[in-house]
Amino acid sequence: MKKNMKGILKLVMAGTLALSLAACGNNGGGTTGTNNGTDKANEGSTGGKKENITITFQNIYPDPTDPKNIIMKKIVKAYEDENPNVKIELDSLNTDQQKVKLKTQAASREVPDITVVNPAAQMKPFVDAKLFAPLNDMLDQNGLKDTFQEGILDFYSFDNNIYALPDGNNIGLVYYNKELFEQAGVKVPTTFEEMVDVVKALKAKGIQPMAIGEKDSWTGSFLFMNVLLRTNGPGFLQEVLDGKKTFEDPAFKEAADAFQNLIQAGAFQEGATSFDYNAGENLFKTGKAAMYYMGSWATGGIETSTINGKAGVFKFPTVNGKGDPNEFMLAPGSAFAISADSKHLPETKDFLNYFMINFPKETFSAKGAVGLAQKVEGDFKAAGYSDMAMEVLDMFKDVKGGDIAFDNTMNPATAQAHLTSIQNLFVKKNDAANVAKEHQTAYESNK
Amino acid sequence: MNVLRVSKWTIALFVLPCLLLYVCFVFVPILVSLYSGLLDWNGIGESKFIGLDNFKQMLFHDAVFWPAVKRTLMFAVVSMCIQIPLALFLAILLNRFVKKPNFLVSSYFLPAILSVVVIGQLWKTIYNPASMGGMLNQVLESIGLQSWTHSWLTDPSVAMYSLYFVAVWQFLGYHTLIQFTGIQNIPSDIYEAAKIDGAEGLKADWHITLPMNIPIIKISIVLAFIGSLQSFDLIMVMTGGGPAHATDVISTLMYNMSFLSMKYGYGSSIAAFLVVVCLVATFFINLIFNRLERKYT
Repeated sequence: MKKNMKGILKLVMAGTLALSLAACGNNGGGTTGTNNGTDKANEGSTGGKKENITITFQNIYPDPTDPKNIIMKKIVKAYEDENPNVKIELDSLNTDQQKVKLKTQAASREVPDITVVNPAAQMKPFVDAKLFAPLNDMLDQNGLKDTFQEGILDFYSFDNNIYALPDGNNIGLVYYNKELFEQAGVKVPTTFEEMVDVVKALKAKGIQPMAIGEKDSWTGSFLFMNVLLRTNGPGFLQEVLDGKKTFEDPAFKEAADAFQNLIQAGAFQEGATSFDYNAGENLFKTGKAAMYYMGSWATGGIETSTINGKAGVFKFPTVNGKGDPNEFMLAPGSAFAISADSKHLPETKDFLNYFMINFPKETFSAKGAVGLAQKVEGDFKAAGYSDMAMEVLDMFKDVKGGDIAFDNTMNPATAQAHLTSIQNLFVKKNDAANVAKEHQTAYESNK
Repeated sequence: MNVLRVSKWTIALFVLPCLLLYVCFVFVPILVSLYSGLLDWNGIGESKFIGLDNFKQMLFHDAVFWPAVKRTLMFAVVSMCIQIPLALFLAILLNRFVKKPNFLVSSYFLPAILSVVVIGQLWKTIYNPASMGGMLNQVLESIGLQSWTHSWLTDPSVAMYSLYFVAVWQFLGYHTLIQFTGIQNIPSDIYEAAKIDGAEGLKADWHITLPMNIPIIKISIVLAFIGSLQSFDLIMVMTGGGPAHATDVISTLMYNMSFLSMKYGYGSSIAAFLVVVCLVATFFINLIFNRLERKYT
């Protein structure tokens, strides 16, 4: 009986143990046996046999049909062929699993050689705990730093050190289904109020206006933050952090009201809060919903779906006449970081350098280069990118700043309270003042 | 009391491996987690000792905590008061009216061996709104009960009951099997004697099956209780504790606090609370059943 009671704890501990064992296994295998013998050989001649090592590469590309997975395997294979003494062991997990696994590993300082983190506030606890190695020196090798877009690395820098290299840089867009728009006789909205009318018109025709995967509550938050970006202009959360504003600011309440107008107009599918990200996106990708607000990373998936050719994009419109559609929700992507405790730090840096140098080239030829964090050379049109992809690429040129997601700006506890508060709006109406208060209370108690 | 006629050292030697494992993997982690409950710690970096602040916050200032406790206890009550009697009743019927009950018992048992993830996904689809192909709502509509349709998992007023139902459904067969086995072990001559005295059918069940089966019922009750206090996977798969904490129980709250809000210390204090609840509840269940057993056996 007692054994049963502590099941949860046991599970957690067993999990931790298994993880740490696995980590030990990976790192230990290469070094312990060969260390003494081969070090000398290395010093002497370049032609000598190098030490056999294994680098663990934790990543979030588990789906073998996903172009990113294919690209990753290709680059890894090429590197292993060039460096026969290095074995790259892939630890591919989906996003949520990876987040939890990394936190568990971090708690016991068993971070894999290469791992994946999210920008700014989300990676700060890891950096504060000195778990990651600074990558400045590695970025200077082979001109890697210059391949990145202007300013993107700032989201991964703390005290002038860069700790992670992003695989993407995206913006928030509204995808729409041209065919369904035609059926309902509606045009692309240029204001938020028009968008609410479009929702009503679609609804009247029996067409599901918008899709969202609100079980993963960041999806609703991402959209809400875009409304806030319009009513307030960029930098609201930073102003809150700097103590210049509170969540009870009129701009925040206005955003909460506008956002609820959209929900109350029946924009989102019934039971939206039980749809996870993929299920929500699938509604749009199978032509069952007319609009879908998401980061530009969704472009590739939509292109390979059944509605390819029927889908278009538009910029998120102004709200109550406020805001600039050329200010976007910016989504600097998940990024690769290297463990400070890595047993093979130089080799790991060398590999990641090689990986990132080749990443843009390979993604470009795999038609996945929309929303990369690195500069891509080549003619997209000639390479066969779709019209929608070209539209998205053009929008990138219009970007005049914007905001990053809530959980990239605020600490995790405040972010969770925010996500809950927004998710709640999908199931019941709440006074804007209450929403503001919930946010302010959570922010103050978690400062 | 040395029934085995071996030295105490030998006994100690044989107990040792289990004891060591138990201490290492159950007892020590509980102590460690109790200690982390006293910390202000995000699970990764520096930690700060803050005494009982986490517990104070949890017990007196957290608007989400007590509702989660209530839902957890409701979960336990539903399993104990609906699931077990139902399982016992089923077992009695099976034992009395079905000639070769093994096939039926195994079929009822089937959901218990399925992965919770499979069960969760299955019922999620069944509970979906009709427009998304939800079976339950479509059936309700087709028999003219439109007003009964709900978005079962996202309407905060019914979401939790939808989850209780799935849990009861999944483990009904499991408890039926346990009870069925218990009933089969009751010697049939007792029933024959009772028959002569004029007790048959439900009357015989009330006076014979129920009291004779008490130790087995206790097993079921304890399993159901502990299982529902720890219910985590089903809720995680089906609602993730949402919408907006409406289906959070103690364990999902603990998970969300520790891993999503990154308040590891606070999560640990919730875990400590869960351990205490389990201990207290087990103590009372044992107490009640010891009395019952003494009375009837």
